[in-house]
Amino acid sequence: MDLSGKNYKAFTERQEALKKQYGPGQAEKQHSKGKLTARERVSLLFDAGTFEEIDAFVTPANQPVEFGKVERTYGDGVIVGHGKINGRLVFGFAQDFTVMGGSLGLVHARKIAKIQEMALKMGSPIIGMMDSGGARIQEGVASLSGYAAIFHNIINSSGIIPQICVIMGPAAGGAVYSPALTDFVFMVNRTSYMFVTGPNVVKEVLNEEVTSEELGGAEVHGRKSGVAHMIYEDEENTIMALKKFLAYLPSNNVENPPVVADDGLTPDINEKLRDIVPDDPNKAYDVKDVINLIVDRNSFFETAELYAPNLVTGFARLRGKTIGIVANQPKVLAGVLDIDSSTKGARFIRFCDAFNIPLLTLEDVPGFLPGKDQEHSGIIRHGAKLLFAYSEATVPRITVILRKAYGGAYIVMNSKSLGGDFSFAWPTAEIAVMGPDGAVAILYRRELAESKNPAELKKELVRKYRDKIANPFIADELGYIDEVIDPALTRKKIISAFSALSNKWVKVPARKHGNMPL
Amino acid sequence: MNDEKPAIKKLHALSSENRRFTFTLPLRHKIRIGKRSYEVKLKSDEKYGTHILWKNRKYPVEIIRSRQNRYEILFNDISYIFTIETPFSLKRLKVLKQSTGKAETELIKAPMPGKIIDILVREGATVLRGEPLLILEAMKMQNEIHSPVNGHVTRIPAKGGTNVMKDDLLIEIKVE
Repeated sequence: MDLSGKNYKAFTERQEALKKQYGPGQAEKQHSKGKLTARERVSLLFDAGTFEEIDAFVTPANQPVEFGKVERTYGDGVIVGHGKINGRLVFGFAQDFTVMGGSLGLVHARKIAKIQEMALKMGSPIIGMMDSGGARIQEGVASLSGYAAIFHNIINSSGIIPQICVIMGPAAGGAVYSPALTDFVFMVNRTSYMFVTGPNVVKEVLNEEVTSEELGGAEVHGRKSGVAHMIYEDEENTIMALKKFLAYLPSNNVENPPVVADDGLTPDINEKLRDIVPDDPNKAYDVKDVINLIVDRNSFFETAELYAPNLVTGFARLRGKTIGIVANQPKVLAGVLDIDSSTKGARFIRFCDAFNIPLLTLEDVPGFLPGKDQEHSGIIRHGAKLLFAYSEATVPRITVILRKAYGGAYIVMNSKSLGGDFSFAWPTAEIAVMGPDGAVAILYRRELAESKNPAELKKELVRKYRDKIANPFIADELGYIDEVIDPALTRKKIISAFSALSNKWVKVPARKHGNMPL
Repeated sequence: MNDEKPAIKKLHALSSENRRFTFTLPLRHKIRIGKRSYEVKLKSDEKYGTHILWKNRKYPVEIIRSRQNRYEILFNDISYIFTIETPFSLKRLKVLKQSTGKAETELIKAPMPGKIIDILVREGATVLRGEPLLILEAMKMQNEIHSPVNGHVTRIPAKGGTNVMKDDLLIEIKVE
């Protein structure tokens, strides 16, 4: 196409200016910090040649239009647009640290808000890649109101379209609430951090020396605070994982998750499952081994892996269909439910429920974690979140009890009476109000006190309790368990159970919203 | 993955012992034994799975686990751990190492109240990431506490058979 004509002069000049703005000098600056440029990120994320940018030429709010005197800055520090990821429409924005430090001004915020509103209207996921110095101080309250509009949009879209945030640089101050409100937060190790108040303020106010990394690095948010769900070593891996992750999710809350072709390589009957739970009830095992043998080969994608690892959550596929998995992890903290694992599980369940993803619960839980620390920090109200989330969920819900299912924790973990659709148990299951040792100590207190050989008697009573009470057969006979199954058949059983539930529809009462104990 | 960029021709594999191997794509490698050099090929088909072809014999290779760019590979019944880096990411790795790389001390603390059943390492021992350090009995379960880092054990305040509270210091490891 010939664009050399006079009429196209301004058009081509602008294109050249934009190209110059994103020249190699900018790239060098980002690369030296171990980061990619916003453009490189966008081109990695979207399928080749599918990204369409909008509002590329907007100028900052306070930049006056003078007749060619001022070098114009285009884009106001953010790239927004839409494109295809694995062939599906996705909206996205990438803050650009090389343009005014990626700081958020009014125009910058309007660009993001525009794309958010579009994503909501089209019912498509939105991805935000954050790399910003924070609010643009020069623009004052206009910049703050920009943030507020972005937050408001996120909340309006919450539960309608999946919203994912990727932290690829600093996110400080108000900016951190944008990721906090989205469904999943990805973070890049060593080059990204988030905090409400930065190290300088901490130093000034509390006189405490702390580095950005210690205060809000990926490691901190992945392991301790639970703000970030997925942590990766570099940006390429983060983006690749994000693309893989999106393939599990539907585009919006009225669609079903995409189905991938089943390669048929996972055997429906797998005898290895019979040997995973050790004979000794005090010995641990890795519940991820169980998950990987049940779901389609290599399909398990764990979320929030480092945070509260005593409860495993993640997505997987059964015959190509997405399911959400919540599983107690006996290998970590004996698989107890504590504050962190309860909130982690509750949030995951609510995401699955909002986006029509059926839930599979694998249960091996000795109970809630006892102690002053937990009680004082409010395990009662945090544990109630998990209970609330399960009970409220209307997606198909199946539980398989692998081993321990004791007391309150049994109730919380998707028990039948909480509205669970199917409950299966392995023959190794122990379902009771209390574990054998605790129960015997209460039930036979007098006998044990009067006995000449209490240790011996206790051992005997514990053995009896385990045989007679702590097994799955009583619950099975009472109908609280639908079937005690051979572990080898687990995959087969849950596939047929989920298929029986595929048309599940529950009428929810008309109300504004429930009052979840937050 | 991205059609616009030239395909990567060279990759680096870093082993868990910090040895570096460079290989080209598509994989074709020559190994030298004595004075003769042999060509080694990596093949994969449905019948034999992935295998290395050398002197017309097949040696099966299995990827046991892959996470991001980290692979655990089983070959001749020995497992090897590698991370794969592109020339660009290798350069970045060096940059980041310089900016953050100082040896630190990792404090292993009790994750919950319980009783120390057994301590599996001694002072001065070299430990690898994921290696069990001690067994803590809590919630009537024997929990293995694993090392989160590679390093040397410098101090073991924990004693076998004693009760510990949450956040009590158990083991100190100097990070390598």
